[in-house]
Amino acid sequence: MKIMSNTIKIAKWEIKRNLKNKSFIISLFITPILFLAFFLLGNLANSDEDQSVTTVYVNDKLNILPALQEAVQLHTLPFKLQKTGIAEDKIEDLLKNRENTAYLFIGEQSLTDGVVPVYTSDVISPMFANQIQLLAEPLKALQLEQLGLSKNQLAAISKGIVFEQSTVSEISKTEGGGRETEKILERIVPGAFASIILLSIVFSGMMIFQSASQEKKDKIAEIILSSVTPKDLMQGKIIGYFLLGMLQVVVFFIFIIPIVLWKIDVPIFHYLFVPHLFLFIGIALLGYLLFSSIFVGIGATMADIYTTGNFQGLVILLPFLSFVFVGPVLTDPSGLWAQIGTYLPFTSPAVLILRLSILEEWPWAEIVISLAILIISVWIFMKLAGKIFKVGILMYGKNATPKEIWTWIRQ
Amino acid sequence: MNETVLTVEKLGKSFKHHPIIQNISFEVKKGEIMAVLGPNGAGKSTIIRNIMGIMYPDEGSITFHNSQKNMIPRHKIGYLPEERGLYKNVKVMDILLYLADLKSYPLKKAKERAKVYLKKFGLEGKEQSSIDELSKGMGQKVQFIASILHEPELLILDEPFSGIDPVSQELFKKEIRSLANNGTAILLSSHQMNIVEEMCDRLFMIHRGRKVVYGSIEEVKKTYANFKCVIRGKNDRAVLEQISGVQRIEQNEDVSTLYLTKDIQPAKWLKNLPEYMIIQELSLDRISLHEIFIDVATDQNLLQEAGENYE
Repeated sequence: MKIMSNTIKIAKWEIKRNLKNKSFIISLFITPILFLAFFLLGNLANSDEDQSVTTVYVNDKLNILPALQEAVQLHTLPFKLQKTGIAEDKIEDLLKNRENTAYLFIGEQSLTDGVVPVYTSDVISPMFANQIQLLAEPLKALQLEQLGLSKNQLAAISKGIVFEQSTVSEISKTEGGGRETEKILERIVPGAFASIILLSIVFSGMMIFQSASQEKKDKIAEIILSSVTPKDLMQGKIIGYFLLGMLQVVVFFIFIIPIVLWKIDVPIFHYLFVPHLFLFIGIALLGYLLFSSIFVGIGATMADIYTTGNFQGLVILLPFLSFVFVGPVLTDPSGLWAQIGTYLPFTSPAVLILRLSILEEWPWAEIVISLAILIISVWIFMKLAGKIFKVGILMYGKNATPKEIWTWIRQ
Repeated sequence: MNETVLTVEKLGKSFKHHPIIQNISFEVKKGEIMAVLGPNGAGKSTIIRNIMGIMYPDEGSITFHNSQKNMIPRHKIGYLPEERGLYKNVKVMDILLYLADLKSYPLKKAKERAKVYLKKFGLEGKEQSSIDELSKGMGQKVQFIASILHEPELLILDEPFSGIDPVSQELFKKEIRSLANNGTAILLSSHQMNIVEEMCDRLFMIHRGRKVVYGSIEEVKKTYANFKCVIRGKNDRAVLEQISGVQRIEQNEDVSTLYLTKDIQPAKWLKNLPEYMIIQELSLDRISLHEIFIDVATDQNLLQEAGENYE
């Protein structure tokens, strides 16, 4: 109970100290702000494109403009249709100084020849040529109507023929396409959520590295250790930085979720709070415990984080090892590389989350083995970190060599 | 007789099979200032770190009499390590309250005491200053305050005066004395003999991890601060024993060291030396605690050549 209370005191101190630190506060907000900035800039670029509306003047001799308007609305085409009575031979001068403007000439001849003359300004959306083809539908309908076909016949012809493919497993399913999308979202949304948690807490876990090393540099470690055990200090740091990481997650979501809900028409909460979420979060937490124990142990062996040029500096790159597996896992989520990444303790948290977000059928045997490896690894690394931390945190003035660290582990 | 707060018995610690301290035994009593003396590398900090539970002894025992067996009452101990510092980017009051909180000391009381001590040490108005805005001396005062804020029963100070200016030194000495007078047991390590002589009640001197001298300042002075006469020349022990005023004799080949009684008068004593004595060299000097310490530090035989080497 006493040990726990000391651990909590250390954790609270680490949180308080960081919350009073300007650079931490900046980093707390800069991540979601940057994300939002990129997100909104991307959207802005898209909406800019949307805004390039083409004004389409229609010389309509068949009274088909209302049908064309319907087609524009149906296909959400960026067209502004306007009726015009201008003659075909006068438009050259009119279009010379215009942008995003087109003239259509629809008359009896259009139906007999099947060709509608379109004149456009020099500057026009590159998509216009494709988009305008969608206005052919009402003309085709009018053409068929003039041939004297019944409404049913018209409907059948205008519907066209589509080849629809289904796999065997899909035949056995009674649900429709909507349910399929839902199932994908039920995996991807918690997966994305867990990825953000993992990323945030691993980043804050990296701060433990600096914290342990800085404590040595400031020579306060021994003063702290006169009040608490090395185990308390280590646990306090791990818990403190975990909560700081979670704070980053909360701030991130406070910024992001309203924007995402506004821009993307997906009920995120509906897909987030599913039973899978617990497994995803569990994986993320195990990942944090693994990396934070390594960081706290190795951080305690360094005299100064900024002058390091040895192996300790490489340890901080361990979480990024997972990126090596992203390509192969996306290509084949059940392939050999995906399986290797699942069983390697340093890569398994990220690879598991990625695979489980993609895979339709979860490989439960692999998940259980991987979690077992991860739990055992966390236990081993916590023990090792404890041994290294105990000695390393009091060794002032120099970085510990791998040989020295090995000696401490064996003691 | 004051009650014993801490007992260290037959303490031993080795690194890589090399003994750092061996067979170290001493006690610290309530209200006394007990000094651990020795040259750099003698093992003073190792003893202290073992007491604090920062290191674990290979042999021997450490007993805190007012706590459960095998438990280090961390909240009752104040500690100022030799290698010390504070977090750079935190406020003075924050760090003081945090360290008091780690000792489970009530927050309100800690705040009040912190203000009193900051005023006492000339740091009034610095409560909200960041540690990195303070001078080195100010930082050391904050560290000292942190070690005593929670009213420890036992205060362990490892080289408390190193790197401190004389004005602060006086302030620290006064405060340490006052704490002892109020019943705090103080264990102080130092290599500054004059300070130890001035303020400590008892001392434990070590060299190369072993005990050299242990006792009250008074006893040590009685034992070592008399005159001694070092004679180079081959003399029989029987001849030397006949000389009056000789308390103890040590002989090493041709060199004889005569420890004299307290009441001798040097000139008269020299005049009364037998004429047949063989004297190639002779020195007569009073040995001080400082010299005992230097002798130990330079690894010479204790009390030898005192008059020749030291002023």
